[in-house]
Amino acid sequence: MSRFTLGTDKRSTLADAAARVKDGDTVALGGGLCARLPMALVRELVRQGRTDLRVVGSAHSIDVDLLIAAGLVSVCEESYVGFEQDLGLAPAFRRGAESGAVEVRESSCVVMLTQLRAAEMGVPFLPVRGLLGGDLSSLHPEWGTVTCPFTGQELAAVPALAPDVALLHASLGDAAGNLHIDQPYVLDERFAHASRVVVATVDAIVSTEEVVAAGVTVPAHVVAAVVEAPYGAHPSSCYPGYAYDRPHLAEYVAAANAGPDAVTAYLERYVLPGEDAYRALVAPERLSAWSTSDEAWMELFR
Amino acid sequence: MVDVGRGMDGAVPVSGWTLDEWFVVALARTVVDREVVFHGFASPCAQVAMHVARRTHAPDSMLIEGATYAVNPVPAFVPPTGNDLALHRDATYRMRFEEFFDAACRGDVDRMFLSGGQIDVHGNTNVTAIGGMPRPKIKLGGGGGGANISATIGALTLWTTRHRSGRTLVPTLDFLTDLGHVTPAGTREQLGHTGGGPEWLVTELGVFDFVDGRARLVSRFPDVDVEEIERATGFDLVVAPELSVLAEPTEAELAQVRAIDPLGVRRSEFSDQELARRFGSPV
Repeated sequence: MSRFTLGTDKRSTLADAAARVKDGDTVALGGGLCARLPMALVRELVRQGRTDLRVVGSAHSIDVDLLIAAGLVSVCEESYVGFEQDLGLAPAFRRGAESGAVEVRESSCVVMLTQLRAAEMGVPFLPVRGLLGGDLSSLHPEWGTVTCPFTGQELAAVPALAPDVALLHASLGDAAGNLHIDQPYVLDERFAHASRVVVATVDAIVSTEEVVAAGVTVPAHVVAAVVEAPYGAHPSSCYPGYAYDRPHLAEYVAAANAGPDAVTAYLERYVLPGEDAYRALVAPERLSAWSTSDEAWMELFR
Repeated sequence: MVDVGRGMDGAVPVSGWTLDEWFVVALARTVVDREVVFHGFASPCAQVAMHVARRTHAPDSMLIEGATYAVNPVPAFVPPTGNDLALHRDATYRMRFEEFFDAACRGDVDRMFLSGGQIDVHGNTNVTAIGGMPRPKIKLGGGGGGANISATIGALTLWTTRHRSGRTLVPTLDFLTDLGHVTPAGTREQLGHTGGGPEWLVTELGVFDFVDGRARLVSRFPDVDVEEIERATGFDLVVAPELSVLAEPTEAELAQVRAIDPLGVRRSEFSDQELARRFGSPV
């Protein structure tokens, strides 16, 4: 029977949606770098105390680092975790790798894409260019090589990857789970089709007509649950709603760099009390000022 | 072959300029007109350089913005994070993630800018870990898609702003993330890689080209000498017989650097010592 999820009302609480993730699951995180990260779901997983997660994805930042800082992650299989030139190396990720507390199976954007595509296509593996001669494969005993039956060329080969749960954040969605995302989509579409369960937060639940008019990026039949979570990507950006919250990110990075006591203080202040308390504290409304003028937009990055 | 040390057409600058500005211009000059050019994330100098190239000597290059995969955008400004709407404003088109990586893997991207915490003489780079894996001394961020597309893109412009540290251009990498001309497992040809590999390595001290798959110093900034560069270089330094001083940036190039990057995000790549370097007549 088809695994598509049918039904016209998949609205859920944040707690029930996050509870789709079980201890030990492989979890795909949507968005990329510091944009459209599923932060409300990340914070809820921390509140629920999930453990032993394997996180997979492309280039990420505070989503992965916060999950590691709070002790939820045992395996990290991303292509990059960091705060770019702005705030530098990811403190908890770095500490986890250096201490051995987190197994870093560093991946590549192209490998991740290819593995998801294999899962989408229902084939056990796909060939991929590059990799041969490099050291990433030393972190991946499951990668191999394959000889083309037609040309005899030898290529790297990677197995299909179907994450247990994908966590996505979109600006708009309807009650059935149709999602509208503004570009860049990063790997969200691929995660949506390759994963066993897709859980989404949206800044606003609107009518189906409104989502269709904006454009459906991820269709309802692959989405299991949808949660209205205003500013659910904060402190990453989710345009056109809100820009990157640079002061908040700097506060997190400073706490994560300072060590466990500062991380605990951050979690107690911002994460544990819940999303309503979080929004009241971080006052994200100021981040919509980006649209008023280029000068106001630049000011958010000064 | 382009000579990146060569002066571009245009007025001689009347004002002074800084090392970060000149460095970006040196990167920009590695772009050839009518190329398809890409940079990765966390690469402000390369980001600014690609726009400078398009607005000066390479107007018909096709610029693909890293992380957003936007084609020929007109950024409001360069923000300090790569996946931001400010970078892809007014783009004629935004590629999907898979659309860009497919193009890069099959050979439809001509040049990529790539940096590394460590770089060896063959242009292999380490962006994964100092001290190696699985238990690194310093875990770096990671390589994005470089482990694949460094093998397939037409040419690579490598860069580092940390040459002087003596820890960046090394005899042996702690971890080989992105592929240069020759790896311990063989040459590109032996490994079946279709891209051309590193063509340039631009550092805050000078510019290298690659001859027979090995880096060779071809020009230097005027305030550093070859001995200084040799001391900072961990592999055996080969110097081109016609070693030159980098040609000065033009007024037009400097104006574009400043216009594209009003927040000065490019400066976050440099130490204070490098940022203090001044050239030309004082403003």
